[in-house]
Amino acid sequence: MIRHVEGTGILHRIHPLTAFGLAVSISTSVFVAPPPLGPVAVLAGTVILAVVSRLPSALGRTVVVSVPFWGFLLLIHGLLRHDPGRAVVIGSRVSTVILVFAAVVTAVQPARLVDALAALRAPFSVGYVFSATLLVVPRLRDRARAISEAQQCRGLRVAGSPLGRIRAVVPLTVPLVLSALSEVDERAVALATRGVGGRAVRTVLHPPNAGGLDVAMGILGVGILVGSFFWRVG
Amino acid sequence: MTLRLLALVPLAVGINLAMGQIVSLLALPVYLDTVGTVLVAALAGPWAALATGLVSQLILGLFVNSVLLAFLLVQLLVAVYAGVMCCHFRVFRSAPRAGGSGLVLGILAASASWPISLLVFGGVTSPGVTLVTAVLGGLGLPLRWAVYVASLATDIVDKTATFLVVYAVLSALPGRLAGRFPAAARARGVAG
Repeated sequence: MIRHVEGTGILHRIHPLTAFGLAVSISTSVFVAPPPLGPVAVLAGTVILAVVSRLPSALGRTVVVSVPFWGFLLLIHGLLRHDPGRAVVIGSRVSTVILVFAAVVTAVQPARLVDALAALRAPFSVGYVFSATLLVVPRLRDRARAISEAQQCRGLRVAGSPLGRIRAVVPLTVPLVLSALSEVDERAVALATRGVGGRAVRTVLHPPNAGGLDVAMGILGVGILVGSFFWRVG
Repeated sequence: MTLRLLALVPLAVGINLAMGQIVSLLALPVYLDTVGTVLVAALAGPWAALATGLVSQLILGLFVNSVLLAFLLVQLLVAVYAGVMCCHFRVFRSAPRAGGSGLVLGILAASASWPISLLVFGGVTSPGVTLVTAVLGGLGLPLRWAVYVASLATDIVDKTATFLVVYAVLSALPGRLAGRFPAAARARGVAG
């Protein structure tokens, strides 16, 4: 999973919702911009944004995810269908979407995003589900690992014939799911004791603020989208 | 949304994502990334399943691979189908019923996902499916059919396995735990 990395780049300093708005704008633009040059130009711009924002981990993540994708695109469209241009267009679009979201998710602290949603008076459940899920996922993954180790100690075989591996699914899955379900009531009680479900409006101690940089990035996002549209129809 | 459902959804999303670890450990050609969604459909009905599917795909899309955001519609289809089948057809009454329902969902999911795979990604999705697509394309099958056949083969196996895993979980659910989720009894066909 992509994790937040502390920093002082542009994407770190802007309001979380501005960052996600910019990501949506760039992702839309790369499909609106006319092929073949448009998507390549938007990808190049997004790489520059990630470099300027000092997010090497987002760039690395994009390379890791994109390389096999580009390989298969060149195999199917370049070798089999003799249309490498289409491979470049699709690859640029997909790599742009991967990069821009990886950059935003790396830069935006999840807690700040939840605070931003709460400051906008979004229902508590939206922020809670988002933040609780981010906390639960690594814990359940660790638990899945612990269960697999425990079951292997008891003699479960996770390698070998396909039938044996299929048989191992249930002994690995059932304990994981049942342990997760047994937590539900405990969590519901914890939510109730914190006043969730009441009528009082929750407030945020340090709501994220939008400033001049947000206005500039907002103009940039709208500008890219409008520019791509006119480039296409022009 | 009740507090119990609010507590259930993040855990179900966690199950969806943790299943990837089990599948990769066993090196099986399936994803099982909708087990949590189908389970919630059985335990709490279609609306909770929709919330689980939505959050699951958003988290996968944002924090794992944003390409997956394009398949949001497929997750929602799985949630609606599982919710309706659990509410009205008691699909988890027996293993063959569960497997059959999963097989039908596999056909529906493949039919919903192949246009996305073809138009947005040029037929390239996960490595296993794409390899099948490339082999079929190399054999002379038109790309759109190669993508559809590859998606169909994967989704039928994956969704059938998903429903059978959820059947196994519901069968193993202790009575006290099952009692907390009234919809579970209906999905298992043990109550009106």
